[in-house]
Amino acid sequence: MKRLSYRKIALLAAIVLLSAIVAMPFVLMLLSSFKTMAEIQSPVFRILPNSFSFNNYIEAMNQGNWSRYFTNSLVITLITVSLGLITMSMAGYAFARLNFKGRDLLFFFSLIGLMIPEQVILVPVFIKIKQFPLFGGNDLWGTGGVGMLNSYLGLIIPQIAHPFGVFLFRQFFLQFPKALDEAAKIDGCSRLRALLRIYVPASLPVFATVALLKSIGSWNQYTWPLVITNDNSMRTVQLALSIFKTEYSVQWNYILPATTLIALPVLLLFFLLQKYYVRGIVTSGVKG
Amino acid sequence: MRYFRNKSVFTDRSGYLFILPFYALFVYFLLIPIGEVIYYSFTDFNLFSERKLVGFHNFNLLLEDQVFLKAMRNTGVYFLFTLIPTMALGLLAAVLLNTTLFRTSWARALVFMPHIVSMVSVSMVWMWLYDPTYGLFNRVLSSLGFDTMHWLIDPKTAMPSVIVMSIWKGIGYNMIIFLAGLQGIPKDYYEAAEVDGASKIKQFLHITVPLLAPATFFLFVTGVINSFNVFEQINVMTSGGPVNSTTTMVHQIYLRAFTEFKMGYASAQSVTLLCGVVLITILNYRFGGSRKKYGED
Repeated sequence: MKRLSYRKIALLAAIVLLSAIVAMPFVLMLLSSFKTMAEIQSPVFRILPNSFSFNNYIEAMNQGNWSRYFTNSLVITLITVSLGLITMSMAGYAFARLNFKGRDLLFFFSLIGLMIPEQVILVPVFIKIKQFPLFGGNDLWGTGGVGMLNSYLGLIIPQIAHPFGVFLFRQFFLQFPKALDEAAKIDGCSRLRALLRIYVPASLPVFATVALLKSIGSWNQYTWPLVITNDNSMRTVQLALSIFKTEYSVQWNYILPATTLIALPVLLLFFLLQKYYVRGIVTSGVKG
Repeated sequence: MRYFRNKSVFTDRSGYLFILPFYALFVYFLLIPIGEVIYYSFTDFNLFSERKLVGFHNFNLLLEDQVFLKAMRNTGVYFLFTLIPTMALGLLAAVLLNTTLFRTSWARALVFMPHIVSMVSVSMVWMWLYDPTYGLFNRVLSSLGFDTMHWLIDPKTAMPSVIVMSIWKGIGYNMIIFLAGLQGIPKDYYEAAEVDGASKIKQFLHITVPLLAPATFFLFVTGVINSFNVFEQINVMTSGGPVNSTTTMVHQIYLRAFTEFKMGYASAQSVTLLCGVVLITILNYRFGGSRKKYGED
């Protein structure tokens, strides 16, 4: 009995140490976000700030157009996630529950997309957006204008659907009994009605999972907005962090509070809906 | 036989309509671009003048591009020194947190936090930790009486600094996947081994490791793809410098395509990257495939 409790203490100590090391940068970021520049630069390092005043936060948010940056990120995330849920749940439903010629072939073919990194096709997708016909001054052949560069459409459309979400929906919809479709068919329920009235209400967990994964991914994305926007008014929060960093100086007293504010929404979502998030990535990793 | 005939009564063409929005986006923004990037790599496309085919000209230039060759080496170094430590530490964390002696959900959430926060944010925080005068690391070094280091500014330590940050960010994800794998191993295997007198280390090597093979394989394959595409932390923390010591393949693609608008040349770089990723993925399935089956039995 005694041996067990020693082991227990050693294990607990190891776990506390591990969590402390991993969490350390965030704790320091949060505490130092309240420090003045003088405190950050002081030769004596103190963990706690002299006072917990929100001056840094207010000043940081007054540099540049932060209400615009937050609006941009929020609008892009909300629209991307809504359209993503609609298109990917429809496809997942069809791949799981409807019989049509070539269904499984089409599904497995789309999984190629899981292997193709976004970075490899950055150039052609950029050109597709720039040369999108009839947008941004373009003619029918996509020349003459800027297409969807520097626009919400260009930021959103290529990011809506990904085979990964379809895969998660399909896995979930496969679990329902076959009799359900037959009963719906006999009652004269159309396929769309069956999806909306029977499957969607019974599938909130998978919707929560995909919505959460996609929201966090969309809020956090950097490369795509970096490539297709150069207008200050179209910046997302992730791009806007760089306004505090010039070649000669870095305003740590503004970067730390701004970083904290940007990380807060995703951390809140994660801690509130942890169960769904973990289920999503585990389904992909272990069963996939 | 009747079962199959029955099934065909329910054949449903509306399925094509249901998959259409997703499939259209998938084909237009993922599939066609793969063909296009290959086509562009054989042209002198630069956004400003008519593009024309130039054969293997871009690829010949690549072989003499010292910066790109350096970027390939850097990407390889990043891949080698990030992937294995991240997986090892993720496994260690998973084994520690798999205990049933007390609740560990708080620790799991903490270890997982770096995965949730954006790469840009954590890069900013780590730049501050690495700051030569105000950063935590140099403050600790100097208070212990060591010489301070120039972390991200010194070509010798810049890449290792980026790698340490990337390992820290990746542990949580690896931990969660390994943890799910560990929880799928039936408890009786360990009980039987205990009865036979196998030590904890033997149990780990002969039960845990082989049965975790599917999770390990998945993490390795996705880890390879992710490390070949390292870009965000590079662009934020070092912009590839000092003296190209941290520039990577995707960083080079970004610079050539979006600061110099050499779309054809950047496409040739992308195709080189794609070939690397596909080659390594095929090798993984070739040599990792049998182990995967062993784990699934």
